[in-house]
Amino acid sequence: MTQPASIVFVVDDDPSVRRAIKVLLESIGLAVELFGSAKEFLLGRPADRPGCLVLDIRLPGVSGLDFQRQLAEAKINIPIIFISAHGDVPMTVRAMKAGAIEFLTKPFRDQDLLDAVQVALERDRARRQREAEIATLRERFESLSPREREVVTMVVSGMLNKQTAAEIGTTENTVKVHRSRAMEKMQAQSLADLVKMIERLKMPPQAP
Amino acid sequence: MISANAVIPGSYDYLQVFLSVVIAISASYAALELAGQVTAAGGWARSVWLTGGAVAMGIGIWSMHFTGMLAFHLPVPVGYDWPTVLLSLLAAIISSVFALYVASRQKMGLVRALTCGAILGAGIAGVHYIGMAAMRLGAVCRFNPLLVTLSLGLAIAFSVFAFLLTFDLREETKGTPLRKIASAAVMGAAISGMHYTGMASVSFIPSTATPHISHTVSVSVLDSAGISTVTLIVLGVAILTSAVNRRFAAQALELQTLNEELERRVTERTRQHTAVNEELRKEILERQRANASLLEAQADLAHVTRALAMGELVAAIAHEVNQPLTAIVTYGSFCLRQLAGEAPNLQKLQEVIGEIVNDGTRASAVISRIRALLMKGTPERVELDINEIIQETVILMRHEVNRNRISLRTDLAPDLPRILGDSVQLQQVLINLITNSIDAMRTIADRPRELLIRSGKNPDGVLIQVRDSGRGLDPEQADRIFAPFFTTKPQGIGMGLSISRSIIESHGGRLWAEPGPNGALVQFTLPTNGTNVS
Repeated sequence: MTQPASIVFVVDDDPSVRRAIKVLLESIGLAVELFGSAKEFLLGRPADRPGCLVLDIRLPGVSGLDFQRQLAEAKINIPIIFISAHGDVPMTVRAMKAGAIEFLTKPFRDQDLLDAVQVALERDRARRQREAEIATLRERFESLSPREREVVTMVVSGMLNKQTAAEIGTTENTVKVHRSRAMEKMQAQSLADLVKMIERLKMPPQAP
Repeated sequence: MISANAVIPGSYDYLQVFLSVVIAISASYAALELAGQVTAAGGWARSVWLTGGAVAMGIGIWSMHFTGMLAFHLPVPVGYDWPTVLLSLLAAIISSVFALYVASRQKMGLVRALTCGAILGAGIAGVHYIGMAAMRLGAVCRFNPLLVTLSLGLAIAFSVFAFLLTFDLREETKGTPLRKIASAAVMGAAISGMHYTGMASVSFIPSTATPHISHTVSVSVLDSAGISTVTLIVLGVAILTSAVNRRFAAQALELQTLNEELERRVTERTRQHTAVNEELRKEILERQRANASLLEAQADLAHVTRALAMGELVAAIAHEVNQPLTAIVTYGSFCLRQLAGEAPNLQKLQEVIGEIVNDGTRASAVISRIRALLMKGTPERVELDINEIIQETVILMRHEVNRNRISLRTDLAPDLPRILGDSVQLQQVLINLITNSIDAMRTIADRPRELLIRSGKNPDGVLIQVRDSGRGLDPEQADRIFAPFFTTKPQGIGMGLSISRSIIESHGGRLWAEPGPNGALVQFTLPTNGTNVS
């Protein structure tokens, strides 16, 4: 599946730092966009593009840590790399627990930032891939008729065709027809394949 | 003359018998009364009471006997040998002295009462029989041994009884006058009983022998009445004196009781006042302590505030300086990457290095800005007396100085020329120097912590010196301490002396330190009014 090119968003109130990071990241061929505050980022962010966020802790208005929480609440699942001039242990713990990729203390080693950005972009890519797949599966599942869905749910839970037929008050042959048509619509190669697909659909969307 | 073997019949004059009993009772009463006085008195008064009382009582005893004897009438003329009569009187007085002395002792046991009673009884019997021996008449005395013994026994019994009674009654508080009178009546009756038993023990046998009459006097009824009267008067005076004395004693006692009460009240009151005073003193102390701890708390708070402010300042500086540093490091990394690559983008490098220079300049500007911030506003220039500023600063710092047990001395030259300057800034410099001295002496324990602030004239104007006995300065430190961010204190940020030097230099003066192992000397000059002021 093809994705648009990744982009690194840098949010730091210090223009020098922003520019320096841009120069560094562009030197390895990454697209970079700069913002002076969390608000600017929310307003100016291009619609859902794969990428990651390099976020300063100390920002005018909403702080980096609060912004991390706000993003999570808004279900914006962008990987975050924190940079801070005075990171302490509690702050770091809070950031990492909330799912940050890395916490770098200014001034940081260039390689540390580049590595963290690579990890973050890779993670975002993987997540997007997963989400796209699940979206496809859901689309296919949605295309099933109500009776087909019923049959699929029972079969996946381990019931035999005969039992399923008894349960929904029809013949075994009718169940077989529903089942094969459902597998065709879901593009499942085998029963095991179908079980896996239904399991993935049940999973919470943000889990890895 | 009269037949030899017939007993001369005697008769009693009952009036005189009655008189003798009255005398006996009076004497007994006097004895009871006097015993109390002798007991109560002390020192010479005791001797006076003992002597006077014994004389009165002795006269009473003797008079009772003599009256009793005179009450006995014989049909023959009876004369009395007066030396013997005097002897019997003497015996009576001696017995009385003994009796009063014994009765006024602290303790009276049964054994003592018996012993002394025997002696006194013998004395009284002596008085009686000596008195009888004074009789001169033409007859021989025959004594009935049984009755003589009985009379002696009665005398002793009466004495023992008298002692016990007297001892019991002598206390002022005990015994009503009525009881005393009753006791006296019993005693008087006993005495009389003894006497008349004695009288009954003798019988007079007419004798032809001429009585020895060389010192004999005859006693008429009138004489007898006189003796009785005098005796009663003596006894009356004794009793009256005793009563008066007792009244006085009672009053004195009352007075004493009142005095004691008063004294007790005064003591009580004094105690209350003392307690209140004590309470007040405690409260004052408490308040002083509270005040001291309040001051200490304020000082601590000031410390904490300063430390917090310093911490925040440090954080601010760290952040402010870190931003350009981060940019510089990141740009630098980019440059290295470019230069390590095959075709470095020189134009980009040039651009980025320009950014590095800009950010370096910016970092330096941050430091300057902080220094300016710490110097607080634009300095003003007014005419000042530097000694006044020193004194004001010393007052401000006094608590901190005392808290660290530092002795602060000022040696300020009079009539210093006035200077032009900013009093707040100069005070800031002095506070900074004094604070440094305090910090340097905090750990000094092996020598006195001394701080000396001097002012004086100097070719450049005035010279102010701050000298302490603290850790001192290495020669190499002496100049570095003025560099920004150089500090020897664990909590220091290294701005104080740097700012102080800027302030003094902006006043046209110089600030420098002299190294030394036993304390530092930091001093500054200030130009006098009108010269060199920038």
